[in-house]
Amino acid sequence: MIKIALAGQPNCGKSTIFNMLSGIYQHIANYPGVTVDKKSGRFSYKALDIEMVDLPGTYSFSSYSLEERVAKEFILNERPDIIINVVDASNLKRNLYLTFQLLEIGIPVIVVLNMMDVAKRRGIDINTQEIQKMLKCPVIETSGAKAEGKNELLETIYALSNELKYHEFKLNYDILEPYIEHLQKKITVQNENLSQRWLSIKTLEEDETILSRLSFLTPNIKEIAQQSKEAFENTYNKDTTSFFASTRYESADIICHKCVKENKKNSLTVTDIADKYILNRWLALPILFLIIFAIYQLSIVLGYKITDYTWPILAAFKNLVIDILPQANFTEVPLITDFGVWMVNSANALLNYIPIFLILFALIAILEDVGYMPRMAFILDRVFKKFGLHGQSTLPLVLGGAFVGGCAVPGIMSTKGIPDDRARLATILSVPYMNCLAKVPFYTLLLGAFFSANMALMMFFISTVTIFIALIVAKLLTSSVLKNRETAPFVMELPPYHLPTFKGVVIRAFERVWLYIKKVVTIVLAVAVILFALLQFPGLSSEKQQYFEQESNAILQDFDKKMKDNSYYSLIDSKEKVASLLNYYDEYRSKRMLTSSKEGAQKVDDAFIARNQEFFLFIKPKTNKDARIINKELRSLSSQRNKILREIKNEKIENSLLGMMGRSMEPLTLYAGFDWKINVAFLSSFAARESAVATLGSIYENNKADNQRAEEAMALNSGYTPLHAVAMIIFMVLTPPCIATMIVVKIQTNSYKWMLFAIFFPITLGIVAAISIFQLGTTHALSGIEAMTLFYAAVVLLTLIVGLFPSKRINWTGGIEPKTNGLYSKYIQSQKKEKR
Amino acid sequence: MGLDDIQSGYIAKIVKINATGKLLHKLLDMGFVNGTHIEVIREAPLYDPMELKIHNYYISLRKSEAKLIEVAQL
Repeated sequence: MIKIALAGQPNCGKSTIFNMLSGIYQHIANYPGVTVDKKSGRFSYKALDIEMVDLPGTYSFSSYSLEERVAKEFILNERPDIIINVVDASNLKRNLYLTFQLLEIGIPVIVVLNMMDVAKRRGIDINTQEIQKMLKCPVIETSGAKAEGKNELLETIYALSNELKYHEFKLNYDILEPYIEHLQKKITVQNENLSQRWLSIKTLEEDETILSRLSFLTPNIKEIAQQSKEAFENTYNKDTTSFFASTRYESADIICHKCVKENKKNSLTVTDIADKYILNRWLALPILFLIIFAIYQLSIVLGYKITDYTWPILAAFKNLVIDILPQANFTEVPLITDFGVWMVNSANALLNYIPIFLILFALIAILEDVGYMPRMAFILDRVFKKFGLHGQSTLPLVLGGAFVGGCAVPGIMSTKGIPDDRARLATILSVPYMNCLAKVPFYTLLLGAFFSANMALMMFFISTVTIFIALIVAKLLTSSVLKNRETAPFVMELPPYHLPTFKGVVIRAFERVWLYIKKVVTIVLAVAVILFALLQFPGLSSEKQQYFEQESNAILQDFDKKMKDNSYYSLIDSKEKVASLLNYYDEYRSKRMLTSSKEGAQKVDDAFIARNQEFFLFIKPKTNKDARIINKELRSLSSQRNKILREIKNEKIENSLLGMMGRSMEPLTLYAGFDWKINVAFLSSFAARESAVATLGSIYENNKADNQRAEEAMALNSGYTPLHAVAMIIFMVLTPPCIATMIVVKIQTNSYKWMLFAIFFPITLGIVAAISIFQLGTTHALSGIEAMTLFYAAVVLLTLIVGLFPSKRINWTGGIEPKTNGLYSKYIQSQKKEKR
Repeated sequence: MGLDDIQSGYIAKIVKINATGKLLHKLLDMGFVNGTHIEVIREAPLYDPMELKIHNYYISLRKSEAKLIEVAQL
C-alpha cells in the first residue's frame, strides 16, 4: 500500500486527474478542524494498492493561506510516499513556481503535464524529455478531460513505488546560498526523511508551521533564522521573501525558455475572444443576468415542475407507511399512526426538493468547471465589496432566492469557493434572509386574504426587499462581529474557459445531493421527533376527551339510525365495522387520487375488490339502491369525522407544549399584533416552512362551510387587519430560519456558535422590525399597503446609507495584520491540542 | 506611477511593490516580481477591479491593491 498526495495549482485540472485515476471510489471529509474538503480515493494497479489524497489547490507552498497550511500539514504529518504534481501545460511558467517548492521537500515527485490538448491547440510545443532532465523527476503528459495518459501515469507510479528514491533537486538561490547552508548546519532533525535544505529554506521564509516543528529540537531556531535573514537583507539590501520568489520565477523562465516553443504567440485564444464579449463593459451585466436567469429557470422553475412527477413516488411511500400502521377506530387515531404520518410528512417535505437540488448542483458544477465563477466575481465585485461581501457572493445570494424564491441550502453550500474568510462567513449568514421558496405559499395565503387588490405590488415588495435586507445584514456583520476575521486580498486568477467533463459534473452533483440527504435530512428527522412530542403532549384534558367522544358517538348513532332498514345493515352494525368501512373508503379515495390513467384506476379497483368485495359495492354502487344510500351517507360521515379530527388536532395544539410556548410569548408578540396562534404557526415552521401554512390554515379553517377557501376564511374569521398581515409578512421575510439551513450553516462554518447566532439574530431582527411597523401603523392609522411601502422605503434607504459608509479596510500598505479570529487560529489551536 | 493609472491595452514593467504581509506574499506567488511585464487588459464594467495579463495568464486586482504596485509604462 502506498500513499500518494495530489498537489497542484488551482485550475490545473487536478480534479480531472483525480477522477481519472480513482474513478467513482471517492471519499470526502474535512481536514481536521477546518472546512477544507479532503478528497481521497483508493484503487489498485498491478497488485499495488494505492491511496490517493487530493490536496487543496494552492499557488504556492508557504503559509499564507489556510489551504497552503493544510496542504503542508498533510505532507508533514502523513508523509505520503509520492507527490504527484499536476501542472497546467498551457501555463507552465507559473505552475513551475509550485513545482520547485514541491521538488525541494525531499519526497519523490511525479510531474504530470496536464491539458496537453489545450497546449497543443494553442501551438505550445513542450520538450518533455528536457524538462524531465532539468527537474530530475519523471514527467508524464496527460489530457485529463480526455482520459489520455492514464496508463503511462499508472505505470510510472508502479515503477517508482518499487524504488522510492528521492533525487535531490536544487534550485540555485545564488547570493542566498551561504545563508541557507549556514542554517542547514544549525538544524537538528531526528529521522526526518525530509530534505534538510528544504527545512532551512522554509525557516528563512519564516514559515510558522516549520519553525514550530523545528523548535522542539532546536529551541532558538526562530532567532537564528531571524539573524540570518537580517544579515542577508543588510548585506544585499534585498528582501528575502521577494528574493525567493524572483529566483523561482527566473528559474521557471529558464526552463520555459529551454523547453517550450510558442508557435502562435500573438494570436488570440478562444478565451481572449470570449472575454471580449463576456467581460465587455456593456454586455457583461446583461450576459450575467441571462446566465443567472437561465440557472434559475432550469433549476427552480423546471425542477419544481419535475417534482410534480416525483411527488407521487413520495406520496406512494406515504401511503405504504399508512398501510402498515394500525388503522384508526373512527375518531380514535393511535399515537403511533399519528407519529408515523408526521415523520413521513417531514421527510417528504425535504426529499421533495431533491430534483431541484440535483439540477442546481449540476449547473453550479458546470459554471465552476467552465471558469465563469471568478468572472462573475470580477463583474460584480465593486457592488458587493461595499457591503463587506465578495464578488463571488453573487451566486449564493441568487440561489438563496433572488426573483420569486430559492433555497438557502444550496446557496450556503455554494459559498465554499469564496477565498475571503470574512466575506464567506458574511455570505453564509446573509443568504438565509433571501426569499425562501417554501415561504411563498405563506405569503400567497396572507396576500389572498388581505391584499387581493394589490397582490402584485406586495409580491414585488416581498421578493425585492430580501436582497436589500441581506446586504444590510452583511454590512452590519462585517463591521461588527466579523470585523476582525481574516480577509484575503482580492488577487484572483481568471482561468481560461474549459469544457466541463460529464463525469466530473455528475460526480459533483451527486456528491452534494448525498451530503444533503446524509447530513440534513437525518438531523431534520431527529428534530421532527422533538417537535412531534412538543405538539402532542400533554394532550387533551379528560373533559375535552369526553366531549369529543360524545360528539363522535352522536354521529355514529345518527348514521346507525339511518342504516337500520338498509339490506346491508349486518355489514355495518357495530362501531368497529363502520370504522373499518370508513377507513376502506378514505383509503380508496386517496389512492385513486394518485392515478389519472384508466389502467391505473382499474388496478386500484382490483386491489380493493380483492381486499373486500362487499365493501367495494358501497364505493361503486352503480344501480344498487341500498348501496347508493350507504355511499352517500359514507361521504357525509367521512367529512364529519374529519371535522372532529381537525378539532381534536387544534385542541391538542392549543394545549401542547408548543401552544404554551406560543402563549407565553404573547405578551411580547402582541406588540407586533401576533396572537398565540400565529406564534405557534411560526414555531412549527421552524421544522419546515411549509408547516406554517398548514398550521395557520388548519387553525382558521371554517368548519361550517366546506367550500370556503382558507384565504376567505382567514379574512373573515380571524379578526386580523391588513396591518396584522404586514407585520406577519415582515416577520416571515426576516425569519424564521429552517432547520435544514441551520444545519448547513453548521457544516459550512464548522461551529455551533455561528449556527445559534444564525437562529437568534434573525428572530430578534424580525420581531423588532415587526413591532416597529405594527406600532407605527397603529398609531398613525396606516393601511396595510402604506405600512409595507414605509417598510420597503426604510430598508432601501438604509441599504444606500450603509453602502456609502466606507468599509473598514485591513491596511495592507501599513502591514497591520488582522487579528486572526478566523478559522485558521481555531485550526492552530486544535493542532496544538493534538500535539499535547 | 501606480499600476491603477495604466490604461487598458498598455504594458508596464514592475518597479517596486509597496505591499506588505499577506498581500505581498500573494502578489509574489502570483508572479508580481520586479521587472515583470504586465499588460492591462480591461476594467470591470463598474470600473473596478481590473484585469491584467502577467506571465501569460490572466488575473484580476482591485484598484486599491493595484495602486501599491509601482510600475513604469513601456
